[in-house]
Amino acid sequence: MNGATINNLIEILVKISEKLPITLTIMVLSLFFGLVLGLVTAIIRIRKRPVSYAIATLYLSIMRCTPALVQLFLIFFGLPYLLMLLNININGWNKITFVVIAFSLHMAASLSEVIRSAYLTVGNSQLEAAYSVGMSYFQAIKRIILPQAFTIALPNLGNDCIMLLKDTSLAFTIGIVDIMGEVRIIVGNNYGINEFQVYMVISLIYWAITIAIENGVRYLDKRLNRGHVSISKY
Amino acid sequence: MSSMFSWDFAIGHFPELLKVVPVTLLIAVVSMLLGLVFGLLIALCRIYRVPVLNKLAALYVSFIRGTPMLVQLYVFLYGVPALLEALNNKWGWNLSSDNISPLIFALTAYTINSAAYQSEVVRAALNAIDMSQMEAAYSVGMTTTQSIIRIILPQALVVALPNLANIFIGLIKATSLAFAVKVIDIMAVAKIVSAEGYRFMEMYLGAAIIYWVICFALERLFAVMEKKLRRYESKMV
Repeated sequence: MNGATINNLIEILVKISEKLPITLTIMVLSLFFGLVLGLVTAIIRIRKRPVSYAIATLYLSIMRCTPALVQLFLIFFGLPYLLMLLNININGWNKITFVVIAFSLHMAASLSEVIRSAYLTVGNSQLEAAYSVGMSYFQAIKRIILPQAFTIALPNLGNDCIMLLKDTSLAFTIGIVDIMGEVRIIVGNNYGINEFQVYMVISLIYWAITIAIENGVRYLDKRLNRGHVSISKY
Repeated sequence: MSSMFSWDFAIGHFPELLKVVPVTLLIAVVSMLLGLVFGLLIALCRIYRVPVLNKLAALYVSFIRGTPMLVQLYVFLYGVPALLEALNNKWGWNLSSDNISPLIFALTAYTINSAAYQSEVVRAALNAIDMSQMEAAYSVGMTTTQSIIRIILPQALVVALPNLANIFIGLIKATSLAFAVKVIDIMAVAKIVSAEGYRFMEMYLGAAIIYWVICFALERLFAVMEKKLRRYESKMV
């Protein structure tokens, strides 16, 4: 192993960290759109109208049974083609748009299941209680169901966030320079530093973010569950 | 990009994708089984709080679960030659990573990865089994090993099965990253062929369909298995 000095490693760490905003942007945007789309899908699946239910289920099956990488490529190569048929030119689009679209669709599938299970856990009795005091459906959802469902869904949401973070490492395959893309550039330029060490540096970055998300979720979970009495002893 | 979706191209080159399905399945099955064995050992280390191993295992699991598979593959790809070189320098050996086939690289890397995930599943499943089962086994004179193998594991397997199924399906999908260690799998073939013909949609759609069919079939299979295993359980209602 040729010796890389500590300075060298720190230099690389700084260089990679400069691209961190891109990774986080992709992550936050996909999470947001994924949540919106996931909520819609979950509501469709909960309400069980025949046609829309079948479509939503098919969508979930496709999204959950194919790798994120394949979905990314399909969106990247397929979407321009589809839109070309509709006479929409998207040559000027930023590549990040494609990644966000692909990951939003990907995330929506798993998030919709998280939301659905949380909704079902809260149960119909809460909804009926809200009706009985004269709330409308949307009031009941907003004031009674969502706050409870969010607490239940939180650990799973945290897991999905971490999955999404890890999936963003695929974005470099379509030529985006996020932290993974920067690593590819560093390795390609070969600054006289071992590739192994460069990849160890980036794994440490991913690891640090994951641990941060984990702790954030744990903190939120504790706060939201204040005063909640559970039969399981934790 | 070519203007029309070419069915001829898509169907004509589909068999080439099918030909490498065994590679994907091989990686997934082998790393699943090996990962289960190692995962069980790690889980036991953590449950019984084996002094040093417990901490090491926790660190290992946290690292593997906190970094993307793709990064792990690259770390492995560049780390093994570096490690061998260091060993050569130290002990005067003459090991070379050149004669290790990409498949071995992939199998090892995926095993290391899935062992971490499976250890958590196994740990949760073992913890879900009541301590009274263990005591009951002791009371009829079984040793710890016997009671784990005969009493605890069969019950834990039922609890763990849905999660293990998820991990296996995740593994199938994760093999799409094996291109990083230069394994020619479904994704790699799709990439090569589509670059030759400059038709990307056709090949990636083919790949998506293959993955879909595999995962869908597995989902069904595991659902049937779960039903079979739960046959003996008494119902709540």
